[in-house]
Amino acid sequence: MVLTGKRSEKGPACWKRRVKSEYMRLRQLKRFRRADEVKSMFNTNRQKILDRTDILNQEWKTRRIQPVHIMTSCTADSGFSEFSKQVIPLKTLNAVASVPVMYSWSPLQQNFMVEDETVLHNIPYMGDEILDQDGTFIEELIKNYDGKVHGDREGVISLSQYSDNEEEDEEEEEQQDFKVEKMEVCDGKEHPEEPRKEVLKFPSDKIFEAISSMFPDKGSTEELKEKYKELTEQQLPGALPPECTPNIDGPNARSVQREQSLHSFHTLFCRRCFKYDCFLHPFHATPNTYKRKNLENLVDSKPCGIECYIEYPAGEVAEQAKTPSKRTVGRRRGRLPNSSSSRPGTPSVSSETKDTDSDREGSRAALVKCSVLVFCAEGNSRCQTPVKMKLIGEAEAVEWSGAEASLFRVLIGTYYDNFCAIARLIGTKTCRQVYEFRVKESSIIARAPAEDEDTPPRKKKRKHRLWATHCRKIQLKKDGSSNHVYNYQPCDHPRQPCDASCPCVTAQNFCEKFCQCSSECQNRFPGCRCKAQCNTKQCPCYLAVRECDPDLCLTCGAGDNWDSKNVSCKNCSIQRGAKKHLLLAPSDVAGWGIFIKEPVQKNEFISEYCGEIISQDEADRRGKVYDKYMCSFLFNLNNDFVVDATRKGNKIRFANHSVNPNCYAKVMMVNGDHRIGIFAKRAIQTGEELFFDYRYSQADALKYVGIERELEIA
Amino acid sequence: MSGASCKANGAVYPASSAVMNSVKKPKMEQIQADHELFLQAFEKPTQIYRFLRTRNLIAPIYLHRTLTFMSHRNGRSNARRLSSHLQLTFTGFFHKDEKPSQNSENEQSSVSLEVLLVKVCHKKRKDVSCPIKQVPTGKKQVPLNPDSNQTKLGSYPSLLVSSNEFEPSNSHMVKSYSLLFRVSRTGRRAANGLVNGEANENIDVIDTPSRKKRSSSHREEGETTETFVAQMTVFDKNRRLQLLDGEYEVSMQGMEDSPVSKKRATWETILDGKRLPPFETFSQGPTLQFMLRWTGDASGKSTAPVAKPLATRNSDSSSPMETRTTVKESVSTDIKTRKEQVLCEPRQKLRIFYQFLYNNNTRQQTEARDDLHCPWCTLNCSKLYSLLKHLKLSHSRFIFNYVPHPKGARIDVSINECYDGSYVGNPQDIHSQPGFAFSRNGPVKRTAVTHILVCRPKRTKPSLSEFLESEDGELEQQRTYVSGHNRLYFHSDSCMPLRPQEMEEDSEDERDPEWLREKTATQLDEFTDVNEGEKEVMKLWNLHVMKYGFIADNQMNQAIMLFAENTGAHIVRRNLCRNFLLHLVSMHDFNLVTTATIDRAMARLRQIKEELPDAEEEEQQQGQALVSAGACNGNSITSTGGKQGKRTKSALTD
Repeated sequence: MVLTGKRSEKGPACWKRRVKSEYMRLRQLKRFRRADEVKSMFNTNRQKILDRTDILNQEWKTRRIQPVHIMTSCTADSGFSEFSKQVIPLKTLNAVASVPVMYSWSPLQQNFMVEDETVLHNIPYMGDEILDQDGTFIEELIKNYDGKVHGDREGVISLSQYSDNEEEDEEEEEQQDFKVEKMEVCDGKEHPEEPRKEVLKFPSDKIFEAISSMFPDKGSTEELKEKYKELTEQQLPGALPPECTPNIDGPNARSVQREQSLHSFHTLFCRRCFKYDCFLHPFHATPNTYKRKNLENLVDSKPCGIECYIEYPAGEVAEQAKTPSKRTVGRRRGRLPNSSSSRPGTPSVSSETKDTDSDREGSRAALVKCSVLVFCAEGNSRCQTPVKMKLIGEAEAVEWSGAEASLFRVLIGTYYDNFCAIARLIGTKTCRQVYEFRVKESSIIARAPAEDEDTPPRKKKRKHRLWATHCRKIQLKKDGSSNHVYNYQPCDHPRQPCDASCPCVTAQNFCEKFCQCSSECQNRFPGCRCKAQCNTKQCPCYLAVRECDPDLCLTCGAGDNWDSKNVSCKNCSIQRGAKKHLLLAPSDVAGWGIFIKEPVQKNEFISEYCGEIISQDEADRRGKVYDKYMCSFLFNLNNDFVVDATRKGNKIRFANHSVNPNCYAKVMMVNGDHRIGIFAKRAIQTGEELFFDYRYSQADALKYVGIERELEIA
Repeated sequence: MSGASCKANGAVYPASSAVMNSVKKPKMEQIQADHELFLQAFEKPTQIYRFLRTRNLIAPIYLHRTLTFMSHRNGRSNARRLSSHLQLTFTGFFHKDEKPSQNSENEQSSVSLEVLLVKVCHKKRKDVSCPIKQVPTGKKQVPLNPDSNQTKLGSYPSLLVSSNEFEPSNSHMVKSYSLLFRVSRTGRRAANGLVNGEANENIDVIDTPSRKKRSSSHREEGETTETFVAQMTVFDKNRRLQLLDGEYEVSMQGMEDSPVSKKRATWETILDGKRLPPFETFSQGPTLQFMLRWTGDASGKSTAPVAKPLATRNSDSSSPMETRTTVKESVSTDIKTRKEQVLCEPRQKLRIFYQFLYNNNTRQQTEARDDLHCPWCTLNCSKLYSLLKHLKLSHSRFIFNYVPHPKGARIDVSINECYDGSYVGNPQDIHSQPGFAFSRNGPVKRTAVTHILVCRPKRTKPSLSEFLESEDGELEQQRTYVSGHNRLYFHSDSCMPLRPQEMEEDSEDERDPEWLREKTATQLDEFTDVNEGEKEVMKLWNLHVMKYGFIADNQMNQAIMLFAENTGAHIVRRNLCRNFLLHLVSMHDFNLVTTATIDRAMARLRQIKEELPDAEEEEQQQGQALVSAGACNGNSITSTGGKQGKRTKSALTD
């Protein structure tokens, strides 16, 4: 730390100078730190390589190297008489044929969606001669990215990056300045470190003034102050951003609403991939509009034990509570100091209050301490049970931690009034306590949804009619419209049928099980009822170029036999990843090629063509580079997206182009996603190289075919 | 090399003064230019094939007799052999010592011969040396120095060794059988007059150097009796037959002279203190001539098939360690010629005309051979069919076309333009042993490859017509389509050669490659508004889904249970039970699982919790093992704080 330590004149100019020097120092520090990081990274990588080399060397040592037949001997003559001639037998090793060039790529078995790149990540190198003869290419390329090139901080090109960087610097700087300030404060004392531990003092305004004058674009003094506050606050241990719910298993768990507890899970979960923050679907629907299919065991009819709440007369209350009441107004007891479930002072309490403000009038009625609101079906009146009173009095002592309270609210939304189950799941409370808590919280608890009154009981007949229309629709779709295939996106338009305004309908896609529309939606694909293998046009799924949906096609076997490879339905290979074993070797045609290990029959599934899913625009930009390289792994998926196997992919990316191929590609709708399947065009023998015709699969992407196309026609 | 092969080379090699078929006398230059063209076409391949021939002689890759079309070269068939008797017909005992005419006129016209079958048995534990049994098989009077022209075949004394003798005996396992010939000759001469040294009794080709001459101790007291012995192995210790049908001449050895210690013994023949060339023994020394044949029944003819054992093997695949070449040659060539004439070419001699076509088949030269030896590798093919087949298969740099000829056969030889000399062997051999995969300095440890080869090609009857030039000529020249993995494969991630033991597993095709597992963890870590407990459960779940690849809603109940089972202990240890429950409830909200599943999963979790011995202690050990699947454990608490993240979940829903 550079510190003058002198309380020199405090002119703004002087401060400004200090700010500047401090800024420079910080920048330098940062640079050093970065250099160190790079160095250590390099060293760790180096170490990894060395380790690997050691392993390989060990392996080589164990190999028995034969004495090679000595043909000649090598002599080295020093030219000085005192050194004798060195003779060593000459050992020649035969040359091993080199393998074709392969650029590194990451293995993948499922498509991976990536965003458009706004910055050119690197300037492609294609050999000096291309660079020389065609300098305009790079220029044009950079123009495609609005002049943005990654890591170009000094240049004019990436101003935004630069400023980002500076801001960071500044933040640090501010903190650093804070220390300076502290030092000044404690100047003259023996231990300069000591005051740091004291309660943080707010730095003087001068500093902010100086900074703001030095960097006018970073805002006014006040803004900087705010920012400073913000930044320093974060340093507190265990602090989380305000929008983050504390860990329910952690010590700081708070009592929050159900939605808040489940918010992360709901928003991040991909209902199509069953994963959180999946790689394929950028937008996830939240479950709030999903209707529950059926109401499972809402209440255990039997008491869970001697202590069960059902055993008590008040149990009836619970029984009745679940019956739908006409009273929609929540009843809520006022905040009572002694029964407050959450710890005083936690924000959750306030939120609770806020949430339930509307219930004020109801709460006023429930003033009586520990009273229980009983819904009498006939009278809607409230009565107090003396027994209850007594019991509740006992239970008062029970403390509900924030986590427990949150958990209760979560569970009540699922289990409704099955208090026994809730208690079991919470684990630390008895069902009676849960029940009592439930009573306290009664106002904010959702009613168990009634039997879905809007959907009439399903009729077979209707289903069949639906079926027939579908088959017709498929046919219609097939010959009627153009070749344009649009990406599927689950539709979400509550209380509106899937009509012409529905995105699925306009994109000429069926509604899938992921759509928010009702399962009776006319646009839904009903699945097939095949009992055969679903590999002929008899199967509506096959006809619609879809794979059988394991949740819809219940008879063909697409949803059975998860463990075995023997699935009766042959139309679910892509989703199950039932690919063939492929082997990589130098191609007989050009570069690398892919070879099949075992023979396959005609029309058998071989592999999915996986890669990054990029937008058409991105594909255009990338394609320009690939064009120059004369090598492209782009593959049109649908009107919106392209599969690019350049960076990520699987082995089938090595299949070469041929005008007389043994494989063909087919884009299929697989559980809501378009995916590319590679199938055998004819019976293929063991060890044959695989080819497919890029022209059919890549439509207009033929221009990227490059090297293989030229070489191969022969 | 043998004279025969030399002759063959000389005849074939085009560089030598080839016989031109030009009738008239063209100008010298023309001849030279023509010759130049001829050389251009045939020199290189011929050199290659000559090299290969020599290599094959030194270290054969395969034996020609194992080829189907060369089956007649295989003189052995074990099945028949063991059940046949050994018939020995003795033609005479030759001993040309000094002045044979002196006293051999009347009384010395024959010698008495005793043949013993020596069985060397396996050593048992108690035995010091291998037990030996000598079974006398008979005594015969054998004519001494007979005139080969006089006597008829039938009059020779013959002896039959029953096949029973070669059956395994009950008491001892017999290791090897050998015949011991003992000739007693009465005479006045001192036994030490003739020093034969150690006569070479090994006549057959595949002689085992380990075979020891055993001089029998049977010695007569009387000065008048000379005893000569010789021993020949019938079956060696590997139960291989060493004596094939044929005529044998065994050099005998006097009984008393064994002055040289066995250990230093070398195979030399000494006569009167001078070294004799080995071959000389046979013109001088005591030798016993007999014919040997294996017969099916006691009186029948030879059943050992086409036995010309010594000759053929000697000439084509002479082993590198032939020590007694001359002896063998002398005998074998002798036998060979006889046998071949008898067995292989019962007809009159075939003449094979080789017509070399070159210069776009516009020029030709013809050479003729009188035997069925391959001109390039001097292999005696014995039959025209075999010769043609051999030429076609072994010398594919040429194209051979057979044309029948009144005197024998004409073979048109032209250069095969579509010859593909690329390597079609096991590709592993090249890569795993760079530089010495084909070293011939001894055995090379090859990469172990197991192939199950089931090949039952339909064999057409051998017919010469298959060598005739076909109408649609080119079709035949095409290489047969080879399917299968006749190439070296590579790992797609490292470009390292795929070793044969790695063929089966598809290592790069895992559903959750490491980078993807890491990616999902870091991606979740980036969220600023997701707390660490949620993150950890989400990561665990993602890894779980990626590992098993669930694709259907109806799998979810099962997936949850499996999740609880696999990661339950970790969840309990990391104190994530409530987050786990939240995850379940969320799944339920998405309509993917039933409450029953939640109940069951939580019950299982509680069970695991109880079973878990002491969470704190175990954590260190098990924690690592369990979470090795994901990189999510370590950093969940320390680094997943709000700071590093850049994304927010709320931004996702926009």
